[in-house]
Amino acid sequence: MTALAIRRLGHRYGLTSVLSGVDLDLRAGETLALVGPSGCGKSTLLHVVAGLLEPSEGRVRSTFRGIGCVFQQPRLMPWKHAVDNIALGMKALRVPAAARRRRALDWAARMGLSAEDGRKYPHELSGGMQSRVALGRALAVAPELLLLDEPFAALDVGLKLELYAVLREQVERGGSAVLMITHDLMEAVRLADRIAVMASGPGRVLHEFAVERPRAARDEAWIHRTTADLMGMPPVRECFGLVPVPEAGT
Amino acid sequence: MTYGSDAPAGWMAAASRRLAGGAGAVLAYLWSGWGAVASLLLFCALWEWGGQYYGPLILPGPLATFQRLGDLLASGLAAPELWISARRTLTGLGAAVLAGSVLGMLAGRSLTAALVSRPLVTLLLGMPPIAWLVLAMLWFGMGDATPVFTVAVACFPIVFAGAMQGARTLDGQLTDVARVYRLSWWTTLLDVHLPHVVSYLLPAWITALGISWKVVVMAELLAASDGAGAALAVSRAQLDMAGSMGWIVAVLGLLLGIEYLLLEPLKRTIERWRAADAS
Repeated sequence: MTALAIRRLGHRYGLTSVLSGVDLDLRAGETLALVGPSGCGKSTLLHVVAGLLEPSEGRVRSTFRGIGCVFQQPRLMPWKHAVDNIALGMKALRVPAAARRRRALDWAARMGLSAEDGRKYPHELSGGMQSRVALGRALAVAPELLLLDEPFAALDVGLKLELYAVLREQVERGGSAVLMITHDLMEAVRLADRIAVMASGPGRVLHEFAVERPRAARDEAWIHRTTADLMGMPPVRECFGLVPVPEAGT
Repeated sequence: MTYGSDAPAGWMAAASRRLAGGAGAVLAYLWSGWGAVASLLLFCALWEWGGQYYGPLILPGPLATFQRLGDLLASGLAAPELWISARRTLTGLGAAVLAGSVLGMLAGRSLTAALVSRPLVTLLLGMPPIAWLVLAMLWFGMGDATPVFTVAVACFPIVFAGAMQGARTLDGQLTDVARVYRLSWWTTLLDVHLPHVVSYLLPAWITALGISWKVVVMAELLAASDGAGAALAVSRAQLDMAGSMGWIVAVLGLLLGIEYLLLEPLKRTIERWRAADAS
């Protein structure tokens, strides 16, 4: 049962066509990674799915009920503590204040923020910590659809691996569908069920790969190997503007 | 490690920590006043030098002034006049703050309203308060309404401009966050829009407060029979220099009191979230 259906989506900013003829499906509980060069319209697509933009043409049909979104910038409320920022999303769910605070503190701990960090204002936090707060805010509402726009870009490798685990746990336990945008092909191979490769000018989906192996069985060696294989495939090289890999044996 | 423990001990520890933090902040604020006090005393020293140079008829020194003011306060003459002036100032200021903040915020949301109101704000800001006073005297006579109206109309454009600027510069990115998480309009207003607008409103209110006192004394001097301004006029007519200076010092003292004991701490509490260098 498809829960998100995008058909022939197109969008124009003025005269520039940013997206054209995009078709995508996302089922409940599935993780779809969008990979593509900068400026190919991935963020625009995310904004349309999030309900922030009315597309110029095409149709988006979504039966997902709760949405959590992590934008490219953390977009935290500068006048709230980190913990209050995490709790913000729950206000729309009519969760009472005490329960909101408890869950927010819980998520702050899971994101690796100390109690002291939780009481700081965003300007006192590093970029990586701000990204974690934004991710915590999205996960705390237990969304059916999680939209991620390069959420791990500002984090170091160790932190990334920690948060991949948190994300996987949330996805498996809560059954969230995830639409994630990433530059990092390895991240996509690690986390996604399907990878859609987008090209720019105007943005469109070139190719979709299914990642067969279940997430729990993906070890580091397999991930590296599969990433290398993907990097050699013509659609991927074409979308990033790379020279095609010469055929073996020539 | 447990976070957010809901045991009573946790709640009490948090409350006492907050109280200690609050007390510490108050003490720190008062202690930081030493710099301001030093600056004021330096000014007094200059004043004393000027007083000795020009003689008590032209410029009474600070000691003579404070003594005269002390006499006025002790005799019960000063307090009612100051109270009347304070009442008029705060009424006029309150009206300007309310109308200016609400209308300014509304104007900030509409590009048309912003464009239309800019020249009008310039007009209102450029109008000298004494011109308003002349009109008010013709319209309202010599009663309370004249100073109150003059203060309100002199302070309104400042608050309006600040509120409008605050509402116009709302961050679209944060509004997007509110929309994605489906926050109610009430939550969006309180948690996303208002804190930003308030950071523009507070400086405007502080400016308006300073102007309101100036205008009320001027209005009372020319058009009222009671209040600090009227008392200033009387002491001038009696060539009581020390008395005039005393009234001026009294008004300034009230202004400094309201600003540094009320508005400045309010501003600092609300603006804690800003980076430390921006004050």
